[in-house]
Amino acid sequence: MAAMLQPQIILLKEGTDTSQGKAQLVSNISACTVVADVVRTTLGPRGMDKLIHDDKGNTTISNDGATIMKLLDIVHPAAKILVDIAKSQDSEVGDGTTTVVLLAGEFLKEAKPFIEDGVHPQNLIRSYRTASYLAIEKIKELAVSIEGKSLEEKKSLLAKCAATTLSSKLIGGEKEFFASMVVDSVIAIGNDDRLNMIGIKKVPGGTMRDSFLVNGVAFKKTFSYAGFEQQPKKFLNPKILLLNIELELKSEKENAEIRLSDPLQYQSIVDAEWNIIYDKLDKCVQSGAKIVLSRLAIGDLATQYFADRDIFCAGRVTEEDLQRVAAATGGTVQTTVNNIIDEVLGSCELFEERQVGNERFNIFSGCPSGQTATIVLRGGADQFIEEAERSLHDAIMIVRRALKNSTVVAGGGAIDMEISRYLRQHARTIAGKSQLFINSYAKALEVIPRQLCDNAGFDATDVLNKLRQKHALPSGEGGLFGVDINTGGIADSFANFVWEPAVVKINAINAATEAACLVLSVDETVKNPKSESAQGEAAASAMGGRGRGGAFRGRGRGMRRR
Amino acid sequence: MALAFDEFGRPFIILRGQEQKSRLRGLDAQKANISAGKAVARILRTSLGPKGMDKILQSPDGDVTITNDGATILEQMDVDNQIAKLMVELSRSQDYEIGDGTTGVVVLAGALLEQAEGLLERGIHPIRVAEGYEMACRIAVEHLEHIAQKFEFGVTNIEPLVQTCMTTLSSKIVNRCKRSLAEIAVKAVMAVADLERRDVNLDLIKVEGKVGGKLEDTELIHGIVVDKDMSHPQMPKHIEDAKIAILTCPFEPPKPKTKHKVDIDTVEKFQTLRLQEQKYFDDMVQKCKDVGATLVICQWGFDDEANHLLMHRNLPAVRWVGGVELELIAIATVREGGVYTPCILRGHRFLAGLVREKSFGTTKDRMLYIERCANSRAVTIFVRGGNKMIIEETKRSIHDALCVARNIIRNNSIVYGGGSAEISCSIAVEAAADKYPGVEQYAIRAFGDALDSIPMALAENSGLQPIETLSAVKSQQIKDNNAYCGIDCNDVGTYDMREQNVFETLIGKQQQILLATQVVKMILKIDDVISPTDY
Repeated sequence: MAAMLQPQIILLKEGTDTSQGKAQLVSNISACTVVADVVRTTLGPRGMDKLIHDDKGNTTISNDGATIMKLLDIVHPAAKILVDIAKSQDSEVGDGTTTVVLLAGEFLKEAKPFIEDGVHPQNLIRSYRTASYLAIEKIKELAVSIEGKSLEEKKSLLAKCAATTLSSKLIGGEKEFFASMVVDSVIAIGNDDRLNMIGIKKVPGGTMRDSFLVNGVAFKKTFSYAGFEQQPKKFLNPKILLLNIELELKSEKENAEIRLSDPLQYQSIVDAEWNIIYDKLDKCVQSGAKIVLSRLAIGDLATQYFADRDIFCAGRVTEEDLQRVAAATGGTVQTTVNNIIDEVLGSCELFEERQVGNERFNIFSGCPSGQTATIVLRGGADQFIEEAERSLHDAIMIVRRALKNSTVVAGGGAIDMEISRYLRQHARTIAGKSQLFINSYAKALEVIPRQLCDNAGFDATDVLNKLRQKHALPSGEGGLFGVDINTGGIADSFANFVWEPAVVKINAINAATEAACLVLSVDETVKNPKSESAQGEAAASAMGGRGRGGAFRGRGRGMRRR
Repeated sequence: MALAFDEFGRPFIILRGQEQKSRLRGLDAQKANISAGKAVARILRTSLGPKGMDKILQSPDGDVTITNDGATILEQMDVDNQIAKLMVELSRSQDYEIGDGTTGVVVLAGALLEQAEGLLERGIHPIRVAEGYEMACRIAVEHLEHIAQKFEFGVTNIEPLVQTCMTTLSSKIVNRCKRSLAEIAVKAVMAVADLERRDVNLDLIKVEGKVGGKLEDTELIHGIVVDKDMSHPQMPKHIEDAKIAILTCPFEPPKPKTKHKVDIDTVEKFQTLRLQEQKYFDDMVQKCKDVGATLVICQWGFDDEANHLLMHRNLPAVRWVGGVELELIAIATVREGGVYTPCILRGHRFLAGLVREKSFGTTKDRMLYIERCANSRAVTIFVRGGNKMIIEETKRSIHDALCVARNIIRNNSIVYGGGSAEISCSIAVEAAADKYPGVEQYAIRAFGDALDSIPMALAENSGLQPIETLSAVKSQQIKDNNAYCGIDCNDVGTYDMREQNVFETLIGKQQQILLATQVVKMILKIDDVISPTDY
């Protein structure tokens, strides 16, 4: 009987899931909208935070779109695109991660009825692309440059940008305090793109007002051996030696073995080893340095040796901190103690060990090159400090961006409303389907002010209508009006110093449009059956087997040696 | 998270393991979080104040802790809920920063949450509540500065410090002898304080405890107490004017760190090796003797042969002394001459007035006292008590007292306790509330009400009529324009805390209000909790 049947042609592996066509596209859009809904409420100064904890028990409380998206662990293939654009916005400009996801979600939502009505996705895509191009041109035109201002003026302008970013975060209550701190630190590192020169140290305890900026480097006291307390803890204008070697009594060569036939020589070997380390220590002292830092361990012998000579030392300083100290003090990290010349030694005005909360901190301040800054964050809970760090990171990125291409636009949804108006106006000049699509693009842009209102508990329709009216004024004077978060009305965002760097908006619109177009252009998903996980398990068990074998072998060898 | 359905009505998965995750959002999430926070605060509420009760906590392996200290209670409770954990951390950071007031901060946070719940139910946006709290917090902190008083103390005049420490200790189980403990704490802090830099390194104060004796036997030793005895029972137990050699090297022939082998093929060679080792011990002892040491304190151990030799050469020794203790000994004693031997033996002579071994009661326990050190920058507080739990609790109480003394040295402003500062702030906040337009006004007023909860809890715990007492005190504060009226917990007969000598540090109180507000803001700001269901 079976032979009688037509042979079935099997193209794809058994269990492969394929879905295609319009239905698939619509379902992809729904998935993206669901994801956008998750971060929706975090937008703006009245945005709420999310508490996410995973199976391992790690808890994160965050307001940052990119962080939330990352932690949601999204597996839906189309929705993953949104995670990616949030990430790319984060790495490109650092802020506006919620905005970008929200915009992409809204673009798709607006596209959905058209798709359902049978519009070809490519038509939509083309119109969206045009719209985004027009929008970006408009932003560039509307942006206000802060170039050519004096440093003082610039500082206060940058602080405004930082404050706008911070206002939506947990530390929004102290935004002026942190904004000026961020601006100072970004200006301190100069024009170099070395973001790792801004260190952020977290110390639980205290309130956020207790956070402070060190114009130099600060790091937690490292593990110390007996004798450390005998060292002086404060220096004025010390010379600093930076090392990348161990100052410890240890075997010089791992693979060497000494064979002695005469027991009398035993002592000489011991002495030789001691001499090596003493020689090293002596050279450190000879260099005239008052502070010795090493990335590797500084043992108890060295600690006491230095203590005797009134030298401060710290071992196991992390690579990052050491690099920062090197940059700040003008020293160079040495991998040997031979031939230390004055040029490789760093210096700073003041070194001090200070109590911060429950920890002791080593603080180098008044550094000559001044290209580093360290922010010591304080806060009532671990999660709080973590979130504060993320917020500061956003602010730092914003300030850095604003410093580079120094144009700003009005925030609070003002710029979005203005572009929306402009696009609507433009759409009227177009004949054909495209008019509808650009109109819906313009409508999607209004999601930003609408969400700002929603999150603040205002009547979104009411506020939006007021805004539309202002922006439609023929004189164009209403172009800077955005949502006033304090009164529930509208206000001139620019005059109220709600500023965003133009690049954030440009990037957000760009990325969101790209993502929307990408989702729209997909009409088929082919999903392989779960072969991967099965393979993964097999691999894991094979690994386990090997691991056991290794352990057996290891033990065997040990026996033999004995 | 609700499942999304595609056009065919099939559900599709967006998040990994979506079905296993539970999600709370919106007002439900806030309510759940608030009730978790409140639950924690409720536990601590009864521990507040001089008449507060203690909690007994049993750890999984059966250790029992009895304590009144908020931070310790929460730490040992091992809470599971995320929001409750935030409260634990709140208390811990108060502990880190100030050291005292760990109960008060949680009670205040709980009260703030409770008030917020009411406001949320009336439909006020949580962020507006949080912002209102923040404004109110600023008013309160400024007001505290306004009513704070500077007070003078000096090396000779430590009475004010003692009074403040007594306030802290009065809420602990040790309040029986709070006077003497407070004096001990203050003297200890004064001994190690750097008054010019206003810096106190509490690491230099060692708190050691031993079961036995009574609480009154607790003493301050200007020196170090080590829980060790002489390495040989026949060594002298009492050394006057000791010269100590402190060794961080092992008291044994050194081994090269490089891999090595000694080929021994004849009996002679073996003999030489042995002799060499013996000679080495001999040398080491001699070197110690040469620098004039009359006592050797060694970080590591030495074997019986060395022990015998030391005994023989009449050089008392102590072995296995921990690194931290070693360091404290070095700080406490004065270094004499920089004798430095470039070989195996590194050591200085440290002068100590008296080293004696003391045994306790009928037990065989012995401890080593190093006293009358010339440079008493390191001190030890030696706690005695009836049982281990009392000693542990006393240690914690002394720690609180030490922190309070340190805070005053850092900043010598004080406010008055007994809830007077809170009541005064509450009055100030409520007066200021009327000036604010907008919804925040409600939140500010709620903040004022929350501040009242501290004196309320104090009164409750002291067995007074909470509302009656609070309103009496409040009216008196307003009537006399006197910000120093508080709850009369000890039934002295006056509301005036100046007469009762109940002080608290200004920074401690400010920190409490700031921290509590901060954490409450954080909790209020969460509207979405995503967690694995099995939680």
